[in-house]
Amino acid sequence: MDVIVEEHVNPDDLKKYEALYRDQERRGPPSDKATFDYAWCLVRSKYLKDMERGTSLLEDLFHNTKDEGAKRDYLYYMAIAYTRTKHYDTALKYTKAIKRIEPNNRQATQLENYIKEKMKKEGLMGMAIVGGAALALGGIVGLGIAALAKK
Amino acid sequence: MDEREVITTLKILIIGESGVGKSSLLLRFTDDTFDPEQAATIGVDFKVKTLAVDGNKAKLAIWDTAGQERFRTLTPSYYRGAQGVILVYDVCSKQSFSKLDAWLNELETFSTKHDMVKMLVGNKIDKEKREVSKDEGLKFARKHHMLFIEASAKTKEGVQCAFEELVEKIIQTPGLWETDNKGITVGSGGGANQSGCYCVV
Repeated sequence: MDVIVEEHVNPDDLKKYEALYRDQERRGPPSDKATFDYAWCLVRSKYLKDMERGTSLLEDLFHNTKDEGAKRDYLYYMAIAYTRTKHYDTALKYTKAIKRIEPNNRQATQLENYIKEKMKKEGLMGMAIVGGAALALGGIVGLGIAALAKK
Repeated sequence: MDEREVITTLKILIIGESGVGKSSLLLRFTDDTFDPEQAATIGVDFKVKTLAVDGNKAKLAIWDTAGQERFRTLTPSYYRGAQGVILVYDVCSKQSFSKLDAWLNELETFSTKHDMVKMLVGNKIDKEKREVSKDEGLKFARKHHMLFIEASAKTKEGVQCAFEELVEKIIQTPGLWETDNKGITVGSGGGANQSGCYCVV
């Protein structure tokens, strides 16, 4: 799963599908196809701004379609984007939404497990940092007490 | 498995029409499972498996692509650098067989290694209403210089073989792959069809 989540788009692909999208945009509302191709590239970009733009395009696509299959696909890439930007709770909401459409969806389960694993690891790391800070603080207080005692 | 014995990492693709059983073949191979209600793949999926062929261990990085129309434009970007491809059709769907030419054209256009090894797999031979004969599959494979096997992800038949033969052929193709660890030479196996598979070039 890490390979799928961490994979980057080829910059040439991103440029190409951005150009196609912009070209259609100049002449009216871009097609779902052009929008999706561009959004799929954006969510795999290295840059936060691109990923955010990708999710917002996917959100629009999601709200404007009645096709359950398409909805499922848009939800998946929104979940991937939110995982990449470390918005794990939001990402989990999207994987759950996929499972409402397809209860046995394997890719959604894989992604869910990956997110939970990440949360666990990064949560533990957070605790270690807080723990370290408490130790340091204790040290400062200790020094203060020592200084007072000297007086 | 001992990582140090792995001589190379190979990129393998699975392509073909929607619903022919690409993911089912992959999951039978990697996890030995089968889900009759397998959902259509979203975009691409990825699995890793280490395989021993002719006394050589290769790590396979397998990219399973969605057959659905929505993903057609972008899935070819995953073809880059692939050394092997498994092209799948459903023996009970003439339509999936007649689209093979289009898939080969796509490969020709987007793959970067032109001596990549191709394996044609006719899936779902456990089913009764066959629309494509084994002979037709074989002829198509010969015409396009591909390996060929008929298989069933449901019953396991031919699945392991398809991957083994493909990897064996890649290993036997000089210049197509590089060793992960310098100084290791390819094992002495060599002979074709050692695994007792029934594949044809």
